[in-house]
Amino acid sequence: MVKEELVKRSPLRTLEKVLDGGLGKGNIGVIASKKGIGKTAFLVHIATDKLCSDNPVIHVSFSKRTDHIISWYDDIFNEISKTKNLENAIDIYEEIIRKRVIMNFNQQDIDVPRILSSLEAMITSGNFKAGTVIIDGLKIDEAGEKGLKAIKEFAKKLNLEIWISASLKIDDPVFSEKGIPYELENVLDCIDVLLTLQYDNQKIRMDIVKDQDGIGVVNSQLSLDPKTLLIDEG
Amino acid sequence: MSLEKKLRNIGISAHIDSGKTTLSERILFYCNKIHAIHEVRGKDGVGATMDSMELERERGITIASAATNVDWNGTPINLIDTPGHVDFTVEVERSLRVLDGAILVLCSVGGVQSQSITVDRQLKRYNVPRLAFINKCDRTGANPYRVKDQLIDKLGLNAVLTQIPIGLEDKHVGVVDLVKMKAAYFEGNDGLEVVERDIPAELKQEAEKMREVLLEAISMLSDELAELFLEGKEIPEELVCSVIRKGVLSREVVPVFMGSAYKNKGVQLLLDAVVKYLPSPIDVDNFALDLDDNEKEVVLKSDPTLPPVVLAFKLEDGQYGQLTYIRIYQGSIKKGDELYNIRTRRKFKVGRLIKMHSNNMEDISDAGCGDIVALFGIDCASGDTFVKPGLNLSLTSMYVPDPVISLAVEPVDKKAADNMSKALNRFTKEDPTFRSYVDDESNQTIIQGMGELHLDVYVERMKREYKAEVKTGAPQVAYRETISKKADFDYTHKKQSGGAGQYGKIVGFMDPLAEGTYEFVNEIKGGKIPTEYIPACDKGFQAAIKKGTLIGFPIVGVKVTINDGQSHSVDSSDMAFQQAAIGAFRQAYAKAGPEILEPVMKVAVDGPTEFQGSIFGSINQRRGMIVSSVEDGKNSHVEAEVPLSEMFGYSTVLRSLTQGKAEFTMEFLKYGRVPKNVSEELMKTFQEKK
Repeated sequence: MVKEELVKRSPLRTLEKVLDGGLGKGNIGVIASKKGIGKTAFLVHIATDKLCSDNPVIHVSFSKRTDHIISWYDDIFNEISKTKNLENAIDIYEEIIRKRVIMNFNQQDIDVPRILSSLEAMITSGNFKAGTVIIDGLKIDEAGEKGLKAIKEFAKKLNLEIWISASLKIDDPVFSEKGIPYELENVLDCIDVLLTLQYDNQKIRMDIVKDQDGIGVVNSQLSLDPKTLLIDEG
Repeated sequence: MSLEKKLRNIGISAHIDSGKTTLSERILFYCNKIHAIHEVRGKDGVGATMDSMELERERGITIASAATNVDWNGTPINLIDTPGHVDFTVEVERSLRVLDGAILVLCSVGGVQSQSITVDRQLKRYNVPRLAFINKCDRTGANPYRVKDQLIDKLGLNAVLTQIPIGLEDKHVGVVDLVKMKAAYFEGNDGLEVVERDIPAELKQEAEKMREVLLEAISMLSDELAELFLEGKEIPEELVCSVIRKGVLSREVVPVFMGSAYKNKGVQLLLDAVVKYLPSPIDVDNFALDLDDNEKEVVLKSDPTLPPVVLAFKLEDGQYGQLTYIRIYQGSIKKGDELYNIRTRRKFKVGRLIKMHSNNMEDISDAGCGDIVALFGIDCASGDTFVKPGLNLSLTSMYVPDPVISLAVEPVDKKAADNMSKALNRFTKEDPTFRSYVDDESNQTIIQGMGELHLDVYVERMKREYKAEVKTGAPQVAYRETISKKADFDYTHKKQSGGAGQYGKIVGFMDPLAEGTYEFVNEIKGGKIPTEYIPACDKGFQAAIKKGTLIGFPIVGVKVTINDGQSHSVDSSDMAFQQAAIGAFRQAYAKAGPEILEPVMKVAVDGPTEFQGSIFGSINQRRGMIVSSVEDGKNSHVEAEVPLSEMFGYSTVLRSLTQGKAEFTMEFLKYGRVPKNVSEELMKTFQEKK
């Protein structure tokens, strides 16, 4: 398989169809689940897909070291290229990671304005033409409505698609009857697309809880393979 | 106890400006070798004793590594001062080769900086056991706890505090020793008196807590200690020390000490720790390569009665001639002994043997196993191995990267020319990454090295030490050419009109080679090209890759395969096939998608977050690719890959962009493809020059 085909046949095209064309610029998408289910894998898969279609990505993280994040990308790309039999995988990877910047914040009390000002410095002063920003590990409860609103405004201002992960910490039940994570109920207005991940019968099921059409659980027709953590159809 | 059991060969590695030279100076002072303390950039103009070169004094950095012998309470210590700047890493690495242990110095404010990471990586490469010393605890913003966490997070070391500070910043007066559970104060003139007292009440709880952390961390190394620890019993001091030592030797534990060299705090305890925890030459395995047995590794024994194996690791031009620093890995040597230089295959006699204290020296009659001493008047290069005649062992060849930058130097007059050639001769012997040659075409002398500053320092040294006034050209990046696809050749070299004829025909192909410079494959069957001419073909190809046709730089990454050809019974010759190979190469090269490669540097910029935008911008303007940016409190650490050709003058630019608050380091990363617009520009310039 060659790169163009890889993009065309990505399971993410299915997600875009269900979402009527994808998340879209100026919007915020949130992927929520309990810890250790596969949010980072999902976000890295989305980023890799964007990179393969020549869209630069900024990956924001809050870990102690950046090499963990780099190895996520290495692993996800390796899995994809293995399962899809990608030709010239090494060359393609060398090429796509040139369009990725990792911005890591490891101070303890980082706030949203600080993150956004660093992002803006990277995009404007650094002349890095990002189309997508991944924010993995933001404490949504601390950011609150105000923080998410600021992110949304930022997305509009700089014409970005922003994906954020939300780690759900409370004990079961995590989701309300409508399938909305309790912890995100009061910030739901600031989120354009909300996806959730949960274990279901040996698979990791992905549901669409909110999209442009409104709130209500819809099957995304996608799942994560629990072994490789790659997005899969069905 | 025999000498080699007690001896310590240690180095001090650090980020620039973390106070390494001051610490070295204090160590020398406390060991009673010098009688007054001079500051690095002291007001008395004397300068620290170990910075022997005038130039180093002026810049406040240490460039050359001098080995100094001191004595701490009966333990002889050879102190090897290693240079701190990244441009001189080969010097650092060469010093590391002869160390048995190291002190990693960190600034209590700056913490683990980019240079500390490079230096630590080098220590890892040579498996050097280490202690960490958090210096400058008297400075505003000092936080040794944070630095300890960084040692764990950023360097992945199992760092454990063996001390906690008593007061920080201007209140820093001493440390609590968590092994002895005593407070230590440094009193009297120059902190000469170490006074032991009970732990101050307000630190008691903290000390208990941190001792627990220490014991827990080392308990995995000893069942005996683990048992006592779990049962909550008293653990004897000797046991704790021996387990820490074991952990240091196996490089599983890095004990952390602290203080302020400048304010005379903590240095004596650090010296005690060097004796207690760092290895003697006997504790370390060293290897040599057996040249009679396919360079197989053989273990060297620290036995003074065995035949000597010695490494020359450093040359220096002293007042009285060339001084060669050596480390004795096996056996012992004495005045009048005969040694054999493995590289030059020449015997020589050991004349004067010297023990060095920076600029003062002491004549000795013999030197034992594991020791570091100096020889006078030996003609050799650094990295040479000396053995007892009859042995055929060589100490591991040190990793030497190829130079990435070159500079034309032109002496201003005849006298300068003479002096320059003397200087170059010396420098190339001293530093394997520094090279020089005369360019055939321009007749200019070209010097090559690892970075702008590297070459700058040598140009300065030529002027100061050798009185060779030179003019320099613009620095030139060492480009390479390569091919991107397979291409066939079918070339006949023919000259059969008058005189002796020449005839050779070569058929085959070239394709890209992922690793390495050049490979030659012979697939000729049935003697289409007679076997005796095959080496000539190889030689022809090798001549052809010396200069590419795009911009005249060497070609790398080519595999040439020959599979057919033709010869003539009278007119074929070595010369003819060599010419045919050159022709064949040129024919295929043009079709093989030739490309220009340039050295790409790994650049790390550290600066306050407020200047982040300027830093990003400056990298972007230099065709750089930002790999990551890490924010850590007020500071931002940006890692990027930037072509070397764009990095000229970056230090000045960065300084003015950030009010001098940001710094950067760089090292060679890889050769990368030059973008089309730039390579067109390069080719145009090359054509114009022609």
